[in-house]
Amino acid sequence: MPLGLYVSRCGGKVDEVIDVDAAIAGVAAHAAVVRVFDDLFDPAAQERVRRDVVDAELDGVVLAGHSVERYNKSLSGRHLIEGIVAAGINPNRVVAANILEQVALVHADDPVGATAKAKAVIEDACRRVELSDEAEGIVSEPRRSVLILGVTTEAVVAAQRLLQLGFSVVLADRGEGLAHALQPSSLKATSAYVAGHPNAEFVDGARISDGSGWVGDFDIVLNSDAGSAHYRVGGILLARPDVTQWIEELRGHFKVDIDENGHARSIDPDTHPSETIDPGIMVVPVRSSGDRTREKVAAADSAAMALVLQLSQPTTTHYMDVSQVDETLCGGCASCVRTCAFGACSLGEDGFSHVDVRRCRACGKCVVSCPVGARDIISAPHDYLVETIRGLAESEVVGDKVLGFLCAGCGYPAADGASAYIEESGESYPASFLPLRIPCGGRLDTLYVLEAFKAGFDGVTVFRCREGHCHNLIGNLDMDRRINLLRTVLRSRHLDDARLRIVDISPFEGERFVEQINAVYATLGSLANGKGGPQ
Amino acid sequence: MSKPRLAHVVLGGCEGCYVSLLDAGEALLPLLEAVDLVASPLVAEDDLTDCDVCLVEGAVTTERDIEKLLQARKASRTLVAVGSCAALGGIGGLRNLSTRTEVLDTALGVGERPTGLPALTARVQPISDFVTVDMSVPGCAPETETLLEALTAALEGRDWALPRRNMCDECGRTKIKLLEHSSEFVSDSVYAIMELDEIDPEVCFLEQGVICMGPMTREGCGARCTVAGVPCRGCQGPSRPEFEQGGKMVDALAAVLPAGAIMFMDDLVGTGYRFSMPISIFPTIYDHGGDGDE
Repeated sequence: MPLGLYVSRCGGKVDEVIDVDAAIAGVAAHAAVVRVFDDLFDPAAQERVRRDVVDAELDGVVLAGHSVERYNKSLSGRHLIEGIVAAGINPNRVVAANILEQVALVHADDPVGATAKAKAVIEDACRRVELSDEAEGIVSEPRRSVLILGVTTEAVVAAQRLLQLGFSVVLADRGEGLAHALQPSSLKATSAYVAGHPNAEFVDGARISDGSGWVGDFDIVLNSDAGSAHYRVGGILLARPDVTQWIEELRGHFKVDIDENGHARSIDPDTHPSETIDPGIMVVPVRSSGDRTREKVAAADSAAMALVLQLSQPTTTHYMDVSQVDETLCGGCASCVRTCAFGACSLGEDGFSHVDVRRCRACGKCVVSCPVGARDIISAPHDYLVETIRGLAESEVVGDKVLGFLCAGCGYPAADGASAYIEESGESYPASFLPLRIPCGGRLDTLYVLEAFKAGFDGVTVFRCREGHCHNLIGNLDMDRRINLLRTVLRSRHLDDARLRIVDISPFEGERFVEQINAVYATLGSLANGKGGPQ
Repeated sequence: MSKPRLAHVVLGGCEGCYVSLLDAGEALLPLLEAVDLVASPLVAEDDLTDCDVCLVEGAVTTERDIEKLLQARKASRTLVAVGSCAALGGIGGLRNLSTRTEVLDTALGVGERPTGLPALTARVQPISDFVTVDMSVPGCAPETETLLEALTAALEGRDWALPRRNMCDECGRTKIKLLEHSSEFVSDSVYAIMELDEIDPEVCFLEQGVICMGPMTREGCGARCTVAGVPCRGCQGPSRPEFEQGGKMVDALAAVLPAGAIMFMDDLVGTGYRFSMPISIFPTIYDHGGDGDE
């Protein structure tokens, strides 16, 4: 497969610590294109990548430098990925190798270790590109309608903007909605406009009883005093991110990140105050009592604009991240049906498991629960995970190797955040801690832990979401159950199960991330049966 | 034209596979007419120098087994692993959870070592660890019909492959609770089959709180255990060797049955790896063969 490897020096921060030539030596030999830029976000660099994709007919691209979070959660990052996809690369074949936040910035005191680790991380990304299928896109025309949850000042202002632009809105309130909403007198005309608009519908006493779909094409069922009604909308605006009941109901069907108070949070309060990890769900920032009307109006404008940008596109594409079942393997045991927290798996009349892609959140729990490997996650396939565990174990980093499974929702951003803490505090952790990103703690198969120990890792640490914070409701809890049972299996082989550690963490806890890794290393030396698997 | 030469070699096992073959009864008569039986528990003197098809049953457990197996491979055109011991390591593989010293001390008395017995290998292994296997018929013991089918195919030089789905595919028991979208477990606890006063003959064992290895096990036996009223014990092994039964039992059942109750089962490991310990990711204890072992 023609692969393009693009390394960003990130303005010198990478090559200050890492010997880039040494780190890419192994991969460079079989990549079709290898380029090193000062800054990958530089427009000229981006243009160069896009041209290579076409000229060299690339099938996959590895971007070594920034964290994958940077591509998901910044405008420049999203723009870069969109450009590469538009040039013809499947989004599942554009993979970030995080050698800045998780290597160069955290191992500045160990350039040799950092270079070896960067090499392992880049090889991991290349393996991901090579062993991942293309994700299949479902294209739809976005619905020009928005469901607004909570009738607040922001809700009414956003509704007015949307109505004026030709969208229809459904304003749902847990209480009595507009009748009791405290509206500043300066916005009376706005309220009246919304209340009298033929394309505005108010639902009072509303509860979300079902939800499915994705940006541009959501199905929502609202229960209210008036009964149950089905709405098909293109986007959702959470105007009361502090009302935990709305969030709980949304989280039963969609991915919504929450902060330590259980409030919905945006991906970045500074640059993306309205956008959440689900591109079809927007929030207004949690209100403080001192907020003035103009701040509320600004928040409403920001959220309305974010929705308009999404829903005014001619088409939206949802990439499926879960495969259908392999019918040559599935015997219909229904483990996946009972395991899925979203009701996305069911047995068909044909006796095989089927996945409802409109409900699937691609957490990977069904894949793990499948005893025969009949289903897979496209962005984190089984073969890739097994191969990369073995590959990371071969890394040239010195000292006891610990494999860190990092949940994409918490452990991975915490690992990025650790770089800031390390810079401030001067603390560090060993470069022989090797990270492996997984979509959810629930994607962790017991076989991966066994493979890691067999491949020679001295320790395995899993960073998973704190209780109640899992993007997939109970991916963390299910993983705990499996791991606790696996401990019996490890002990049966005389393998000290203290080598396997589960850490709960929130995405902001960089300090805890560093502390916990050091705590793991502090105990490793005292454990029996260190090196080597069976003969 | 001379008749095809058939051999049947027994390594470490119980000869139950052989009994399963004998269960064919009259169907054996035409088979015996059609072949030259050059080695078998039935033959007074084995001639393992040249044969068309060699059935190997039993796992490798002694140095003598290795010699016999290598000789069988050298002599045969098609080598068939018969039964769970040959194919997966089998139930004897559970001895891999102890050191060789512990095994010998337990079996013979501490420090007691009789002479004249073949030396025990450090651990039990399937024959595929030593030789190329052309065809594999797992099962403890394999069904007679399946064995005859495979043997006939081998003699005729045809390919013969095992089915690939899990046992639930051919188990007729109904699922009700398992099909509901719910985060509750399907049973309030986990029970050994003798703990239950009544067992519903129509309903999936898992829904009755009984651990059944069916989901983790390759189909092909006609789900004979669940039909007979006992849960599948997993003797056919996993349908893909890389998806080991013990680990996947944990993965599959952790959200289905109360994980806490599973943890307090008397023999979780013995249940999960009953027949396939030697082909699992950790086929033996971590420091096996290390210092202090014989």
